[in-house]
Amino acid sequence: MMRKRVIAAMLAGAMVLSATACGGQGGEGNAPAAANTENDAASDAASDAGSSDAGSDAAQETPAAEPTGPVELVVTTTFAGEDTNAQNYKDAVAAWEAETGNTIVDTSATSSETFKTRVITDFETGSEPDVLFFFNGADSNSFIEAGKVVPIDEIRATYPEYATNMNDDLIADSLVDGKKYAVPVNGYWEAMFFNAEILEEAGVSKPGPNYTMDQFKEDCEKIKAAGYTPIAAALGNIPHYWWEFAIFNNQSPATHLEIPGSVDDANGQAWVAGMNDIKELYELGYFPENTLSATDDETFAMFTDGKAAFLIDGSWKVGGIVGACQSDPEDPSTLDADKLAKFDVTYVPGKGDRKASDLVGGLSSGYFITRKAWEDPEKQAAVVSFVEYMTSDSIVPVFAQHTASALKNAPEVDTAQFNALQIKSMDMMSGVTSLTGAVQDLFQGDCRVPTFDGMPEIVTGKVSAEDAVAEGLEAYQNQ
Amino acid sequence: MGANIYRNKKPALVFLLPAFLFMIVFLYYPFLKNILNSFMEIKQLGSTGTSFNSPWYSNYVEMFQDENVWTSVKNTIVMMIVTLIGQVGIAIVLALMVDNIGRGKSFFRTVFFFPIVISATALGLLFNLIFLYDKGMINQLLEALGKQNLTDWKAEGIALVTMMLPVMWQYVGFYFVILVTGLNNISDELYEAAKIDGATTLQRVRYISIPLLHNVICTCSVLAVTGALKVFDLPWVMFPKGMPLKSTFLTGTYMYYHTMETKNVDYGAAIAVLIVVLGVVLAKIVNSIFREKDY
Repeated sequence: MMRKRVIAAMLAGAMVLSATACGGQGGEGNAPAAANTENDAASDAASDAGSSDAGSDAAQETPAAEPTGPVELVVTTTFAGEDTNAQNYKDAVAAWEAETGNTIVDTSATSSETFKTRVITDFETGSEPDVLFFFNGADSNSFIEAGKVVPIDEIRATYPEYATNMNDDLIADSLVDGKKYAVPVNGYWEAMFFNAEILEEAGVSKPGPNYTMDQFKEDCEKIKAAGYTPIAAALGNIPHYWWEFAIFNNQSPATHLEIPGSVDDANGQAWVAGMNDIKELYELGYFPENTLSATDDETFAMFTDGKAAFLIDGSWKVGGIVGACQSDPEDPSTLDADKLAKFDVTYVPGKGDRKASDLVGGLSSGYFITRKAWEDPEKQAAVVSFVEYMTSDSIVPVFAQHTASALKNAPEVDTAQFNALQIKSMDMMSGVTSLTGAVQDLFQGDCRVPTFDGMPEIVTGKVSAEDAVAEGLEAYQNQ
Repeated sequence: MGANIYRNKKPALVFLLPAFLFMIVFLYYPFLKNILNSFMEIKQLGSTGTSFNSPWYSNYVEMFQDENVWTSVKNTIVMMIVTLIGQVGIAIVLALMVDNIGRGKSFFRTVFFFPIVISATALGLLFNLIFLYDKGMINQLLEALGKQNLTDWKAEGIALVTMMLPVMWQYVGFYFVILVTGLNNISDELYEAAKIDGATTLQRVRYISIPLLHNVICTCSVLAVTGALKVFDLPWVMFPKGMPLKSTFLTGTYMYYHTMETKNVDYGAAIAVLIVVLGVVLAKIVNSIFREKDY
């Protein structure tokens, strides 16, 4: 009898152990095999991509950090989806893997609130990546407060060359403790793309640096009369860009980053006026008919299909527009140059103290090294090597393209490699009078909900702009 | 000794223990923890609440004042009714029709059951393309038929219908298969006797098939109603954030919205408690209405 009990207990134990063993497969024990396979693939990918000149140059620079041996790093970035640099990132990772023999487990995704929540939850639950390319504003506050990422100065104490190719003044300080954590790669700008063919058909001339909201409304009226949708925007999904510029239009570059103390102060009233400006455009019928029920992808498709004239978006959308002009979005050789020639980019209509050429932009993201990876003796050198590689003098320009970077010695931009829209972007940027950060990067979490997710209620008059702004500010004060 | 082994239940307990522990760790502990969390102040998903809300029951007060909660409860109840009529009702009709055909029963079983094996997320993306405003399948068809203006199938007035159609369609096959199996269990002798007595096909369905399917229909109805409470992925893919104007929230999608999108984690926990309460109450009501009969 006793023997049967023992056998039963052993069987139960064996079952649990086998379950554990199954779960453990693919873990460290199998890592080398996986690493070898991925290394081969990476080598192939690197050679297929011609190992890109940038990649080879970076490899020759001999990074300060030498990895101890092949390791597997988990890296999360926002270089995914329609991001201009999604392919550049893949190429750079493949080149680094081929160079070092290490492997990258890429968990990148397109930036969204769900993505941000996922990243922050990963930190909270101790399953953060080894390297993270993420926003350096209020989004990163929680894991910086928890000490889960390593300041650049601390890394430099061991690796003195770390990020020394960057201009420290351009690396953003943390809002938590004023220290610098994230090594930036490329800057961003937000501006207004337009379809030149629609404007021509509607008898509207190309907007310039002195473009005003009043002129913009006149142009929208002409475009609407010509049978097109003036503005491509999904107010029920991504009102972010209009939110930012509508507020900016009621402030100035000097005051834009000031979060109102209350809805009644000058900045609070500017925010309310901004929301009401969007409401006016909605009531005038300048947004798509389905702007409250459409996704951003749908309204973007309207723009690239030549059904909407204007699109306010970020520099990362250049890649999206170019991709939409290719029969195969993954293959640049399939680009329809004539279709791309219809698209152009200009300044966002201004108002009051903000000129159209005062844009939103900066260096809002960067590479963080997590404390967990830093304190892992096997990974420390590898993560430093990876970030050094991805932020090297030769890789950064590949990512920065028509945007700014924080490099001390930024090389001359070779426009021969650029497509028509990238060149137009550079021309547009050469006339920018100021670049101000996005106030929404400082105004994070549930405080944004009443004016972001609540935008449909504001424009339809179900909630007043005053109430929505006041609710958001109250949530901000309670954070 | 030989017969003793069947009387001694202790070894069975040893084998039940892992499943029991699994349930404790992954169901009952999180459930109790969620109730506690609904009273705490939690700023990030995955973090532990450090203090209680002030007052500790504030989330529940807010819940009763939150219009979107009532919208989501109302939509969920509508979803249950649609599920009951649309899924079980259509499944009954299809099962009875298939049962009355001579050949091709297994073909129709496979065809009607197929949507079940497709992930709800994939179906959501598929129906997004069907209902797309610009270049969507339905709008293109209507355009070909001469309609001038595009229809926004996700506009406020019609969004709920657009959301519920695919949900309904997806699960018809599930109940269809259960009902066909129930029909197969009815003895052919009963139908033959009725036929000899001169009963028409409709009469045989009315007086033999439906009464003898009663218990199966009850089971399907309970499954459909409780299943409607859990519908999440397809509506979220098609109508993220309760678009448009937060009119399409279900209790599940509203809980997810607060937990993942607005980072109001403790409020999301309170909505989860509401979902459990709603589920228990509705399951009781449904069980009392669709009580099985002993034959």
